[in-house]
Amino acid sequence: MSRGLLLVLAILISVTAAAGPALAAETIKIGFFAPLTGPAAADGKSVMQAAQLAVDEINARGGAAGKPVELVAYDDRFDPREAVAIANKLIEQDRVVAVVSGSYSGPTRAVAPIFQRAGIPMISAYGVHPDITLAGDYIFQQSFIGPVQGKAGAEVAVKLLNARNIVSLVMDNDFGRSLGKAFREHAESLGATVHEELFPFGEKEFTPILARIRGMNPDLIYTTGYFMEAALTVKQARELGITAQILGTEGADSFQFPEIAGDAAEGVVITTNLNRDDERPIARRFMELYRARFGHEPDMVAASTYDAFIILAMAIDKAGTDPRAIRDAIAETRNFEGVTGLIAGYTEVGEVLKSVQVQQFRDGRYRFLAVIDDIDLITPPQ
Amino acid sequence: MAIPAYYVTVGIVTGIYIILALSLNIITGFAGQPNLGHAAFFGIGAYTLAILTTQFGMSFWLALLAAAVASGAVGSILGLISLRVREDFLAITTIGINFVVVSIFLYHPFFGQAFGIGGIPAPSLFGVAFGRTGFLALVAAAVLLVVWVSRRIEGSWFGLALESLREDEAAAEAAGIDTRRFKVIAFTLGTALAGLAGGIYASFMTFISPGDFTFPLSITILCMAVVGGLGTIRGPVAGAVILSLAPEIFRFVMDYRLLVYGGLLVLMMRVQPTGLLGRDSVLVRRWQRLIAHRRRPLSAS
Amino acid sequence: MLAQQFVSGIVIGGVYALIAMGLTLVYGVLRILHVAHAAVYATGAYVGLITFQRTDNLWLGLAAAAVFCGLFGVMIHRFVYGPLLDQPRIVPLIASIGLFIFSQDFLRLLFGPYAMSFPASVPFGLLELGDAVIPGRQVFILAVTAVLLALTWYVVGRTRLGLAWTAVSQDAETAVAMGVNVPRVVAFNFLFGSSIAAIAGILVGMHYNSVYPAMGEMPAYKMLAVVVLGGLGSVPGTVVAAFLLGLVETLLVGFAGFVLPRDAIAFVALIAILLLRPEGLFGRSDA
Repeated sequence: MSRGLLLVLAILISVTAAAGPALAAETIKIGFFAPLTGPAAADGKSVMQAAQLAVDEINARGGAAGKPVELVAYDDRFDPREAVAIANKLIEQDRVVAVVSGSYSGPTRAVAPIFQRAGIPMISAYGVHPDITLAGDYIFQQSFIGPVQGKAGAEVAVKLLNARNIVSLVMDNDFGRSLGKAFREHAESLGATVHEELFPFGEKEFTPILARIRGMNPDLIYTTGYFMEAALTVKQARELGITAQILGTEGADSFQFPEIAGDAAEGVVITTNLNRDDERPIARRFMELYRARFGHEPDMVAASTYDAFIILAMAIDKAGTDPRAIRDAIAETRNFEGVTGLIAGYTEVGEVLKSVQVQQFRDGRYRFLAVIDDIDLITPPQ
Repeated sequence: MAIPAYYVTVGIVTGIYIILALSLNIITGFAGQPNLGHAAFFGIGAYTLAILTTQFGMSFWLALLAAAVASGAVGSILGLISLRVREDFLAITTIGINFVVVSIFLYHPFFGQAFGIGGIPAPSLFGVAFGRTGFLALVAAAVLLVVWVSRRIEGSWFGLALESLREDEAAAEAAGIDTRRFKVIAFTLGTALAGLAGGIYASFMTFISPGDFTFPLSITILCMAVVGGLGTIRGPVAGAVILSLAPEIFRFVMDYRLLVYGGLLVLMMRVQPTGLLGRDSVLVRRWQRLIAHRRRPLSAS
Repeated sequence: MLAQQFVSGIVIGGVYALIAMGLTLVYGVLRILHVAHAAVYATGAYVGLITFQRTDNLWLGLAAAAVFCGLFGVMIHRFVYGPLLDQPRIVPLIASIGLFIFSQDFLRLLFGPYAMSFPASVPFGLLELGDAVIPGRQVFILAVTAVLLALTWYVVGRTRLGLAWTAVSQDAETAVAMGVNVPRVVAFNFLFGSSIAAIAGILVGMHYNSVYPAMGEMPAYKMLAVVVLGGLGSVPGTVVAAFLLGLVETLLVGFAGFVLPRDAIAFVALIAILLLRPEGLFGRSDA
């Protein structure tokens, strides 16, 4: 059955692909790449869905600058080598006017200089590496970089949750390390003691570490893991009888987190950029549309991607199709009401300025706990 | 010169894969020693160049040489290990070396940990920095170098020794061939060339991180060499070209690319186990028959 | 704390043993590094989960996965490895890798990339052993592992098929001369090894409450290390190596933290041991 189905699909897709250029004259092309296959395929699927949702929304409202928007999406398999080829393809063959990266920091960092050189603006939807925007003035980041979120986490841990004796579980990739470092520095400056433990990305067995820290009686455990690592940390900690408050990051902001953590998810606090109790129409609308169309809760990577597309469409509306003008329009964004909150604008280097949401998992879903909008805290360090 | 950058980029990446497949071929094809950790040596080369150019201000060319030397040095240690640990035990050991090398990049602050190393400079010649086309020329030159080295090996006494080593190690030893020495040389040479590819790669990408050199890449390189035809020169070249272009060609089936890739590997091994252009492959036999047919009338007349 | 670490090391080691068993059985008679075994394991987890979701019966899930994957294993041999046995050893290895990539992506296309939970309740409660707390799920996993390892020990050591397996793995030519039906031994091999891997997949899925397409990634290569440590093709060697690795990893992480990622620790141990004993812990030096 599957082979026939595959063939039909392959033909369908190639026909639509072939039909693409015919429409090219009237559409505005926005490039997009994400890890649709390979180890990060789950995030790839979320951001791809959000991108489709955003583009359909934009077109339903009459497109950008009066023309329909066309999404040119590619799979980078979470591989910087593929991303580099895709970047050149988007620039030369597809002739996109702007690009959204739906990929992780690695591939995004590899392509940033290419788009910069070509003068094509790129918004990285959820990259966290501070070097991405250093490629130049055409590169923007839609999610706060690691140091901002780590600092916000420390603020939540010490001031909001009154933790003094903290254990920080640091994932060994760029995401975990940059958040962990900022968390530790800020928490210590606020007077807490932080004991750090490193763990590998993809780790599933936390009992050896948890059994050890159980003896330290921490009043808070901070984990920089993604949903899988965070969920298993929470689950295994509760099984060992550890009752400490657990604080996570946007990595745990996924509908898969409670799925895996089960009852242990209750009470967990995270820092993220999507407020599930947001009453503003744009956020409500996004969450409802996403749920209705894809049958599951949106996660933060999806929300960030959606915002990136809407900001881009607004910039095109304002500036037309010239990439240079689009770049300027993005840079001039002020106080934009996005799904991920009020986006004050972008810093000089292109990092987003927006408030950090603090959510707590209660009664089966994430709910509003607090928001951090102190400008000193959310402004990225230079 | 207006070759679109997309083709130039794909050409550069393909060229790097050709070097990797050919260098692995020296170890696995010519000397018959399993190596499932070739990406580690690619990585050692890349990190050597990255560190020497960014932290010690060394020139690209000198650093490239150092990349090959460093990688070959570690490779020669693996060669020494191969004297003691054999066949499938050696195969698994090489997987282990890949995991350990990547972990060191990921855990030791000297190698930038998960953040990798950025800002790696492009090479320059007579004060002019290389653009993409320059890189393509550099990669092409490196491919030619590796092909030349491979040809020299194939046609030399060393090549004959390696071949006897591959076919029957005990017999080779009995015939007075110092198999130990040849094994170590094959490992050193193959890994040094992988290090060369790593140096070029690091400079081309300007940014490297441990994830670029993980075990799946070793598998990809091995698949290239085997699909094309181990033990020949044309084979790994063809395999590298086909398998590095395949994901680009199959881009239109986006969601099914890995499925197609995996299926292709199984199918290739079932249909053409000696490789597409290996010894005794259907294509090669056809070609030889065609040549033979053409020649016959000439010699008859 | 030591007791706690010990228990979690045993649980992990037991799961390693179950997955690696199939690899050892295959290697013993065919001398193939069966990477695609990990795809069988992941498929087992999915079949078990889907059956469990439909019927709400864990035992049925275990049985369905064992049967389905047993047949899957036999098919792999029949259509992929069987025709490649005369080829150089690298050919079936590449085919195996291709099959692994294919199957893993097939699971993703069929069930989606998101992780699914495995909320099975087990007939055991929380067990407290002095300092250590063992959740019921882990007790269940330990029990199933013990039963399966005992079964393997019985099958390999006491039944005719098992003896035939031993004969073939030690000397295939003599075994044939003595009238052993090699194809039958091999088919049985795949059936048995794959069924056990499928059950291991379910146990791991339950242990971490998650089943996802890439779950075979870790066992695909790490289990090769276990099989090699055990001496390639030695059943008791594999079991000992699996438990040893589970314990070493857990104790090292428990007392020193992650000095290196778990997989790297396994391979450092492997390389060190191979340098001292090139035939593995339990290998025969004439192999």
